[in-house]
Amino acid sequence: MTTQELTAGSEVDIVEASRTNLWKDAVARLVANKLAVIGIIPIVLLFFIALFGPYLTPYDFLAQDFTARLAAPSSEHWLGTDELGRDVLSRILYGARTAVSVGLVSTAISLIVGLIMGSLAGYLGGRVDFMVVWLTDVTRSMPALLLAIVINLTLKTPLEAWMEEMYLATKNGFFRQTMWVDLVLVFGALALIQWPGYARLIRGQILSIRSRNYVLAARALGMPTGRILTRYVIPNAMGPLIVAVSAGLGGAMVLESAFSFLGVGVQLPIPSWGKMISDGLRMYRTHPHLLAGPAVMMAAITVSFAWLGDGLNDALNPRQWGG
Amino acid sequence: MSVLLDVQGLQTRFRVRKGYVYAVNGVSFSLEEGETLGVVGESGCGKSVTMLSLVRLLPPAASIENGQVLLRGEDLLQLDLRQLRDVRGGQIGMIFQDPMTSLNPFINIGTQMSEPLIYHRGMSKREALARSAELLEMVGIPDGEARLREYPHQFSGGMRQRVMIAMSMSCEPAVLVADEPTTALDVTIQAQIVELVKELRDRSGVAVIWITHDLSVVAGIADRVIVMYAGYIVEEAPVDALFEDPRHPYTVGLMGALPSLGGETGNRLTTIGGSPPDLQDLPDYCPFHSRCPYAIDRCRTENPILEPVTDASDRGHRAACWVDIREVEVQSNGAGASS
Ligand SMILES: Nc1ncnc2c1ncn2[C@@H]1O[C@H](COP(=O)(O)OP(=O)(O)OP(=O)(O)O)[C@@H](O)[C@H]1O
Ligand code: SF4
Ligand SMILES: [Mg+2]
Repeated sequence: MTTQELTAGSEVDIVEASRTNLWKDAVARLVANKLAVIGIIPIVLLFFIALFGPYLTPYDFLAQDFTARLAAPSSEHWLGTDELGRDVLSRILYGARTAVSVGLVSTAISLIVGLIMGSLAGYLGGRVDFMVVWLTDVTRSMPALLLAIVINLTLKTPLEAWMEEMYLATKNGFFRQTMWVDLVLVFGALALIQWPGYARLIRGQILSIRSRNYVLAARALGMPTGRILTRYVIPNAMGPLIVAVSAGLGGAMVLESAFSFLGVGVQLPIPSWGKMISDGLRMYRTHPHLLAGPAVMMAAITVSFAWLGDGLNDALNPRQWGG
Repeated sequence: MSVLLDVQGLQTRFRVRKGYVYAVNGVSFSLEEGETLGVVGESGCGKSVTMLSLVRLLPPAASIENGQVLLRGEDLLQLDLRQLRDVRGGQIGMIFQDPMTSLNPFINIGTQMSEPLIYHRGMSKREALARSAELLEMVGIPDGEARLREYPHQFSGGMRQRVMIAMSMSCEPAVLVADEPTTALDVTIQAQIVELVKELRDRSGVAVIWITHDLSVVAGIADRVIVMYAGYIVEEAPVDALFEDPRHPYTVGLMGALPSLGGETGNRLTTIGGSPPDLQDLPDYCPFHSRCPYAIDRCRTENPILEPVTDASDRGHRAACWVDIREVEVQSNGAGASS
């Protein structure tokens, strides 16, 4: 038998030859997903506002105009003013900053913690794995908001006292700003709530990818572990991770608002949508504009992240590529 | 002919929640330069674990408890991981059952194929890619150079198995272990893959270990065959001797010619009744006893050892059975009685 006879001419190739790059392919899939594209717009807008909001706001978010308290939307105050006469639009734009920075920072912290814990569990296995899984189970079994309240109530006073002491000891103005205590507590609580999800995801990815055939095949070819990690494990774990981070960003922003709503979030003067919603709720019958603005923003962002997450999930799922 | 690979007393077990799964229980066989050895046996009899043990590609729960794996006289089980990596791919190539999942979906074929060449052969990226294109053509994938840029999902199952074969042969190993490489493929493509491996073998002189549970494939490709059951080798013979003169009841059973246990007539057996023993709780007597129509009292007290059969046409014909099945008149010869 000759080589020519052996060629697989009879086998049908199921593929369009034009698709050569998987990431390009994923982007094409994402763009083809209408909801995901619709979702991207408010998210891009949100990040834009967060970056440039302060330059766009018509008023300072703190500026109080006692002559125009609780004013309805008008050409001067597009979304009206609150009880202290502060411009609602300006506060919403500033609130985007809070939401985005809280989302990014807390996601970054929980992602790093989750990566470390999840990799340790997945790679070392045995007792370490057992401990990490147990820890994540315990953390996840506690209601998130309750956890945040408990953290806030128990740590806030001691932390503030410590700041005061540090100030007295160092005379560094930094320790005067109790706002930092709030931020640390909010970020900490969010990271604590969110790291177990990332840790379990990473652990699962490592366990599943490690036992995949292509990893076995690569090991059978004598490829070193480091190379297998960077070429096989990490790229293949990327898809699910990107999806999780997208959902996590939205989730963190919503949680931050929930904290503020419950009074354990970022405290004034930094505007937070959750805080605005809870304030607005008190008089939504007489002054619905106070509630409407931040509530609509919150809802839009939540839905957008959900749609984008779904779109990413479909676009990045290698099983659908037939790989 | 000289011995290339000599496996002695290999024992591999898995740690499980309650005790151990004894997957490979003292397996000894050898492979000569250029020879093709068929390995047959039912699912779960330890074929894959045996071959993965050769280069210690086992899951974490597994441990090799005993044995030697001598490749040209050097014991692979004594090598450190770095030395072992040079053997993997460099000396012993492997291809696996499922070509659909054996390639990394995120890396194009060219990069994937050139990595072992760069790693084992010290080639430059450019050299490795050029060699990869040649290899693709060698395994019957035309237009190799263009296909290097493509990704696994752009190849069909048969094509992917060709790529796997090209990769495993790229560093010119002395042994190619093919673990059921055609099981997941269509029948027509199966035949093509078998032909391809035969052609490559004849051209390069690589010794092949071909694992399958399909005896007909073995008949077409192997020089010698070992039959495994419950982690033991129960029979070993040159391929003709095995088919003409099988001596172990299990081998006879695999060929679909085993008389039925208990003697019901009119019940032609093409498969062996019953199921293999629990590998966590192996008997200390013949592991085939519960399914064997030839069993005698001794079979329940002593585990037979693999030894040369009597009146063998070939000195290499060995079987692990207390009974010379040629001498036994089994009551009802169900095989072929009716259908
Ligand atoms: N990770 C594991 N943990 C526990 N037992 C295992 C593990 N992997 C394999 N085994 C056991 O080892 C035995 C031998 O498995 P092996 O994969 O070698 O069988 P095989 O002969 O290759 O079968 P197949 O034809 O299905 O591929 C099986 O009975 C299985 O139960
Ligand atoms: S030793 Fe006995 S039980 Fe085992 S295969 Fe031979 S005859 Fe059957
Ligand atoms: Mg197997």
